[in-house]
Amino acid sequence: MKSLKSIVITCLGILAIAVLFFGPRAGSDVPPGRIVIDYWEKWTADEEAQMRLIVNEFNESVGKEKNIFVRYVSTSNVNQKALVATAAGVPPDVAGLWDGNLVQFAELDALEPLEEMAAAHGINSSTYKPVYWNACNYNGHLYALISTPAAVALHYNKKAFAESADALRKADLDPTRAPATIQELDAYAKVLERVDGAGHITRSGYLPMEPGWYVTSTHIWFDGDYWNPTTHKFTFTDPKVVASFAWLQSYSKRLGKDAISEFRSGTGNFDSPQNPFLTGTVVMEQQGPWMANYILNLKPSMSGVKQPYADDVFLPLELRQQHCEWAAAPFPSNEPGKTYVSLCNFDTLVIPKGSKHKQEAFEFIAYVNRQEVMERLCRMHSKNSPLAKVSQDFLTHHKNPYIKVFEDLASSPNARALPQSPILPEVGDEMNNVIQRLVLLRDEPEPALRVLQAQLQEKYDKFAEIQRIRREKAAAENKQLVEK
Amino acid sequence: MAISRLERNNLLKGLAFISPWIVGFCVFTLLPISLSLYYSFCNFTLLQGPLYRGTENYQTINADPVFWKSLRVTAYFAIVALPMGMIIALSVAMLLNVKIRGMAIYRTIVYLPSLVPAVASAMLWLWLYNPKLGLINTVLSKLGVTNLPGWVADPDWAMPALVLMSFWGVGNTVIIYLAGLQDVPRELYEAAELDGAGTWAKIRHVTLPFISPVIFFNLIIAIIGSVQSYTTPAIMTPGGGPDRAAYFYTMRLYDQAFVFLKMGEASAMAWVQLFIVLALTGIAFWSSKKWVHYQGK
Repeated sequence: MKSLKSIVITCLGILAIAVLFFGPRAGSDVPPGRIVIDYWEKWTADEEAQMRLIVNEFNESVGKEKNIFVRYVSTSNVNQKALVATAAGVPPDVAGLWDGNLVQFAELDALEPLEEMAAAHGINSSTYKPVYWNACNYNGHLYALISTPAAVALHYNKKAFAESADALRKADLDPTRAPATIQELDAYAKVLERVDGAGHITRSGYLPMEPGWYVTSTHIWFDGDYWNPTTHKFTFTDPKVVASFAWLQSYSKRLGKDAISEFRSGTGNFDSPQNPFLTGTVVMEQQGPWMANYILNLKPSMSGVKQPYADDVFLPLELRQQHCEWAAAPFPSNEPGKTYVSLCNFDTLVIPKGSKHKQEAFEFIAYVNRQEVMERLCRMHSKNSPLAKVSQDFLTHHKNPYIKVFEDLASSPNARALPQSPILPEVGDEMNNVIQRLVLLRDEPEPALRVLQAQLQEKYDKFAEIQRIRREKAAAENKQLVEK
Repeated sequence: MAISRLERNNLLKGLAFISPWIVGFCVFTLLPISLSLYYSFCNFTLLQGPLYRGTENYQTINADPVFWKSLRVTAYFAIVALPMGMIIALSVAMLLNVKIRGMAIYRTIVYLPSLVPAVASAMLWLWLYNPKLGLINTVLSKLGVTNLPGWVADPDWAMPALVLMSFWGVGNTVIIYLAGLQDVPRELYEAAELDGAGTWAKIRHVTLPFISPVIFFNLIIAIIGSVQSYTTPAIMTPGGGPDRAAYFYTMRLYDQAFVFLKMGEASAMAWVQLFIVLALTGIAFWSSKKWVHYQGK
């Protein structure tokens, strides 16, 4: 009995070892002999698939020629995963971070400087629109190139404007165009909004918090700055910044915080047919150029196109715009004479520190930044191009019939990127909290911003002090090494 | 005391058999815990090496109003949700302990919500709590309530909403109570009835003392669980909800570590959290001498 037990155990052991060594393996689609570049990207769904097309094209063309294979992985929280992997010394070779993480990662020495490799590929400041190029550079180094960019514009429902034409004219407002100043925007919003007898908002003309993705950048349209990159001081008490926060709060004061909260709770998800802009319950809102894609996918009738709508891009641009129930225009500025003011966001391609194949990784980044490739990707994502040169075909046959508005916004001298602060995620978090307190009418702009400025300045000063100590320590260690 | 050769052999064999666990525990639990204690005294961003700063992190979190707010939010949840949850679970367990037809169905119904994943529950409750379209406010308005709560969208209602939702998952606790209740000998109730005890007296003098070890177990688990609450509030009130009304301690800890890259401060918060849990369980253990009765003692 005992020997039988031993035989069974031995057989099972041999079987386990055999399976371990000779068992099935996950299939690999990496062609033999190629250098593998791991590329982690944040996108999911259509955007992920569209970037995969570009990756596949690279693998079949430049990749084949230069013996490189890009292994593309779509993952959530890409910044946090790239951070942990970089800290562990096993980073991806290319990561698609958000622009808001760029300076934070660069300051903590987590990114490879790209300027030399970029220069070798002929990529320099003249390649890009200035707003994007400047935002990719920090402390004299180029830390990222762009995968796809955006510019924020006002999107408005032309049909709702037309339906309220008489009321708009009565208020001395032109129903055939978008508001040009903040005062006009407020006036349009008042005429277009609908409030029932019980005080419930049934349709909003404009609400700063809907969808509220860019509220922390409202100061841009008020020509203010909350961060001085030269003195490294926060300037939240700048009257223009205070005015922008007061404007955000003014909607709660006028319509009531509870009415706004109730209205917003009844609006559907952004990526659904219940998106309030698509249902017409929000007439004007701040959005990026991708909105055209969501309209095409979720409510094609709003773009005046017939199914299949792919052919529609070859119709004359004017005709397409004419058929659209919506339009995009520069978001109004509060500063007289300043037009085409915009926040220019972007998705980055970076090489995390510790990548084992930097040159090969940059080959892929440079490929994405070729004009024809970038335009193809941006067209699929329905975004503008970050590049200085844009083809006529891109402008006329883009899925977004208003792409010229976004191109002009991004090229404008009044285009602005996020402030280059190494503690930007914390700044954004604290600003969002102050904005919430303001729209809930729990605080007033000036005192709240004074406190915010003091708090964030203390956080920044502490961060800068630690960085100084680290630099001194590293210099001392280097000196010791040299002496030895 | 010398051990024999056989005993030494057995010891070595035993250690060999549990070595996977020992190695796993040391590498994946003990080492990170020890390192986090060290990091709590350092400036550490993950991307740069730890820089020793003494007690600076503890001083910083002590001076941080958001830290105290997150602590207050967690304390509110623990103080309100924990006792109410235990009372509700015990009451439901007692109802499920009576002998009536179809009890298996009732027990299944009570336990089912515990099987729903936390994320799915949170999404479901987000819809129930929707101030405009949600089922709860629809029913309340039908009942004539005019000033309807904004639930998780309202800073004054966010915490009550989360507390109320926490009762949805009492099924696990109910099952443990039920097992304890079924262990109470029938003859004790019969003896109490002979002594003239009514329903409340039987609960007070028979049921509760007899199941007190079970209550104690559930109390300890609930203390740890409530201080560590994360998933549900993180989904239902991302960023802490309006005016950080539901910004739980663990949410702040996570943001400090992985959003603001302040791993040192996050480690300090983790150690403060550990001491809070230790203190609370210590108090529970100390008080248990007075109210927990073990059989045979």
